Amino acid sequence: MSLSLTRGAQAALLVLAVAVITRLLGGQMAWLVGWPEALTVPMTEWVGAAVGSFLSVFKPIARFFSLLLSYPMTWIGALLGYAPWPLVLGGVTALGWMIGGLRLAALGFFGLGFVVLSGYWAESMNTLALVVVSVPLALVTGAAIGILAYEYPRLKGPVQALLDIMQTVPTFAYLTPLLVLFGFGPVVGLIASAIYAAPPMARNVLLGLERVEHEIREAAVMSGGTRRQQLFLVELPAATTQIMVGINQSLMAALSMVIIAAVIGGFDDIGWEVLLTMRKALFGQSFLAGLVIVVFAVVIDRMSGALALQRPAQDRRVAWAMLAAGLAVSGWALAAGWNPDGVAAFDGVADRVDDAVGRFTATNGAALDAVKNNAMFYGLLPLRIGLADAVLPFTWGFSWTAKHGAIFYGATAAIAGFLVWRGHLTAGLVIGVLAIMLETGISQLPWPVVIVGAGALGWVSGGWKLTRLVVILLGLILISGLWERALLSLYLSGASVVACAILGGALGLWGAVSETAWRVLRPVCDLLQTIPLFVFLIPVLMFFQIGEFSAFLAICLYAIVPMIRYTRHGLINTPEELIEAAQATGAGRWQTLFEVRAPYAAPTILLGLNQTILYAFAMLVIAALIGTTGLGQSIYLALGQADVGLGVTAGAAMAILALVADRLVQGFAEERRRALGL
Amino acid sequence: MTKNSSAPAIAVEDLWQVFGPNATAALRDARGAGSPQATAEALENKGLIPAVRDARFEVRSGELFVIMGLSGSGKSTLVRCISLLVTPTAGAVRIDGEDILQASEKRLIELRRHKLGMVFQHFGLFPHMSVADNVGFPLKMQGAGKAERRKRAMEVIELVGLEGREDAYPRELSGGQRQRVGIARSLAVNPDIWFLDEPFSALDPLIRRQLQDEFLHIQATLKKSIVFITHDITEALKLADRIAIMKDGEIVQIGTPEEIVLRPVNDYVAEFSKDVAKGRHARVESVMLRDLPTHMPDDPGLRIGMTLDTALAKCMSLYEPVPVRDGTGTVVGAVQPADLAAALQVDEG
Ligand SMILES: Nc1ncnc2c1ncn2[C@@H]1O[C@H](COP(=O)(O)OP(=O)(O)OP(=O)(O)O)[C@@H](O)[C@H]1O
Ligand SMILES: [Mg+2]
Repeated sequence: MSLSLTRGAQAALLVLAVAVITRLLGGQMAWLVGWPEALTVPMTEWVGAAVGSFLSVFKPIARFFSLLLSYPMTWIGALLGYAPWPLVLGGVTALGWMIGGLRLAALGFFGLGFVVLSGYWAESMNTLALVVVSVPLALVTGAAIGILAYEYPRLKGPVQALLDIMQTVPTFAYLTPLLVLFGFGPVVGLIASAIYAAPPMARNVLLGLERVEHEIREAAVMSGGTRRQQLFLVELPAATTQIMVGINQSLMAALSMVIIAAVIGGFDDIGWEVLLTMRKALFGQSFLAGLVIVVFAVVIDRMSGALALQRPAQDRRVAWAMLAAGLAVSGWALAAGWNPDGVAAFDGVADRVDDAVGRFTATNGAALDAVKNNAMFYGLLPLRIGLADAVLPFTWGFSWTAKHGAIFYGATAAIAGFLVWRGHLTAGLVIGVLAIMLETGISQLPWPVVIVGAGALGWVSGGWKLTRLVVILLGLILISGLWERALLSLYLSGASVVACAILGGALGLWGAVSETAWRVLRPVCDLLQTIPLFVFLIPVLMFFQIGEFSAFLAICLYAIVPMIRYTRHGLINTPEELIEAAQATGAGRWQTLFEVRAPYAAPTILLGLNQTILYAFAMLVIAALIGTTGLGQSIYLALGQADVGLGVTAGAAMAILALVADRLVQGFAEERRRALGL
Repeated sequence: MTKNSSAPAIAVEDLWQVFGPNATAALRDARGAGSPQATAEALENKGLIPAVRDARFEVRSGELFVIMGLSGSGKSTLVRCISLLVTPTAGAVRIDGEDILQASEKRLIELRRHKLGMVFQHFGLFPHMSVADNVGFPLKMQGAGKAERRKRAMEVIELVGLEGREDAYPRELSGGQRQRVGIARSLAVNPDIWFLDEPFSALDPLIRRQLQDEFLHIQATLKKSIVFITHDITEALKLADRIAIMKDGEIVQIGTPEEIVLRPVNDYVAEFSKDVAKGRHARVESVMLRDLPTHMPDDPGLRIGMTLDTALAKCMSLYEPVPVRDGTGTVVGAVQPADLAAALQVDEG
């Protein structure tokens, strides 16, 4: 009988069985729900001791390295700090002109002009100095890694795995060991951002090299080039476009990390300013500082992004004229003693923003609270601790009793039974599993359900190998004592991902059917993807204060973008002949959309979901700053206490969750693609 | 480094190229099966791809040798084995008598710098270099200075008729112009041996014919030893001194254009030439008798090198053998007019 079941049905049946058993027996046998204390290994301490002793060996070298790096840092810092602002402004404008003509020159001019007037000039230059020093480091390291992986195919697998891991390890988690290694100070931020910015470069260099047409490569061979000549004179230049994409991504990653690293404090940069004003609840100020960061991000992104495009050469004389103008104004500013630090032209604006927000929250406080409370009580909380615990007289008007449980499961059984009767066996079983999850709450799920569930998903999406990987990785978290925190993280990211998937999918669909809608959505998506993670916290804090709901919103804001983009991309890129075939058979617009476009787009949409999951995990840790529980919080705490053991273990657990989710979704996407013959 | 002036420009012996894991060992085992066909079958059964099977041929100095076959028959792989862009799984490749499979990396680079040139189907131009820099690139590898490179590059650019476009970038050129750059680049170092892998296939018919003519013209002055790949029988017949026909990795026939047209060894080869007007490609020699018959009443004026079409037109109403003369007017053989007609009708027969 079981032979005739599909893979999905078999897996769902197994999970449902485990869920039912643990639900029934969980009361008597506590070990079925929570992993017994006695079997928990003190992973945190072990890792702390191991990494600690490892780090202490390298500490002297690291400190020396830190000293070494502090020189260029100080120089560049001094250079940017003492350089008259009109000169920097003129320089950036001239650079914009050279890269992209009038458009980018204007962007540079107005962008930096805004920074001058904001009164955050000195802080901004400190941030810029960190980026300027860390990026070359990242680019060289990244390029070297990419080239090595390309030259020695045997290294490619391990290197790609390493890059995957580096991308899933949460940003804060890098900081703790670096802090111990390099000591407090700006160099930690520098190194962290170099480490964080190297992988995109490595990836793009490798990709670019692999994409060089083989005839171009062979032409270099037949010209009699040595291997080195082939690589540096032909292959790398032929891969320029892709490498430029790498530089762009690398710059953005570095900027993002430099701002995150401000959490360590002590280098008086713009990220620190945001953090400080946020802590003091000076939202107007932190909003302004956040805007400065956004302006920086946009200027850097658009300028470096343009490098990868075909562009006409610009007249150099114009650039020189811009520089000269900058120099002239510098002379005047120096003579007149004009110093942008005192300007703060927007302080009035900041105050007004503060006022406005204050007034808005005062008048609409009830409405805002209602939004927040409704989302919490009827959405997030039940997901987290289950209907059985979340349904209380104070919120829902009644308390959950055995009777409610019976009704709930009765209804579930009816729906599931109906689905099975209609031939949707797997769907019926999955409904059963979801019902149990909803009644128990994600953070209180018995561990066998999670492990078997993930393993079963792995089996359906990628076979035994994936199951093994998933079970082993999750098992590591289970015995490490971080399990409960991991479940909390899983819950919050899961809730955000579901919200993003629904809302983002809808927006993507909207963008696919309406060109106008996309014209609005697209710049918003572009902007959201340019903004460093940190800045997302400001607006949600302004309106919803510290707490889980704010964290949820911040995660959604950031993680929704890939879902929108990929959904639209998948839906509009259906091959023309398929659509024509559908229309020829008389399908309407919506029929075409759901019957032809959607199935064809499924793999792409799944990849979008995958990105959304990774984004959500990345933001989860940052959101710890404004109050989340779970692994993110542990990582953040570890940073504050320089607790390497906790930082590394919790970081690893977080990376494991992200990696498992990534592999599972990729597996499904792959399976869909194969089914479609792509 | 044996150099032997009497040796053929290229000699390929017993060459195998097998794709797949552990190809060398697999080939060694499979060769126990005996004939090349059996060996190939054994390899295929193991999931390996025998892309070139037991190839053997020679290219004489100054000869234009064409390799022809359907897509996927292993032509590119064969030429890439000879130029050592891929290392053959087994066999030997001698260039002017030198076994290049035994050559060191350094020696190979030297050979490529001075002796070998190659033109690619999709041009393989360096996108970041101007036409002149593309053409000068092999010279740069030789260590030539900037001025010298430019001078020589201009010479070859002129040879292929691209003067005036030397500072353009590949993306600014048409397909035909791009391939001229490819040809110019491969000629920059004046190689003795010239590989061309379907150089004209990506071009439209008009440009193709024009480039073929120019190619023949260049070859007439440069007299290189050439391996030319094509899947176009008209192109092969037009250009070749000799043609090798490949099928599924195997060379099934090697011969002059008329041998291929008039005496195909099997249906596969015959199929290729089915649509060609044979009379325009085969020459009188292919049906000429060396033993002169005693009785030759007519002399319509047949000459060596005359195509069958022309010859037939001259002896339309003749039935007795007619003499064939060479350039000096000496009678070197005789032709039966009936044979001429028969040769043109192998298919129908
Ligand atoms: N690197 C490789 N790995 C595996 N198989 C290969 C490789 N290169 C070629 N082949 C296979 O070898 C066979 C011959 O390919 P080849 O490119 O030599 O054909 P071709 O005659 O040049 O065809 P075309 O006219 O399309 O260029 C094909 O079946 C091809 O799939
Ligand atoms: Mg080919």
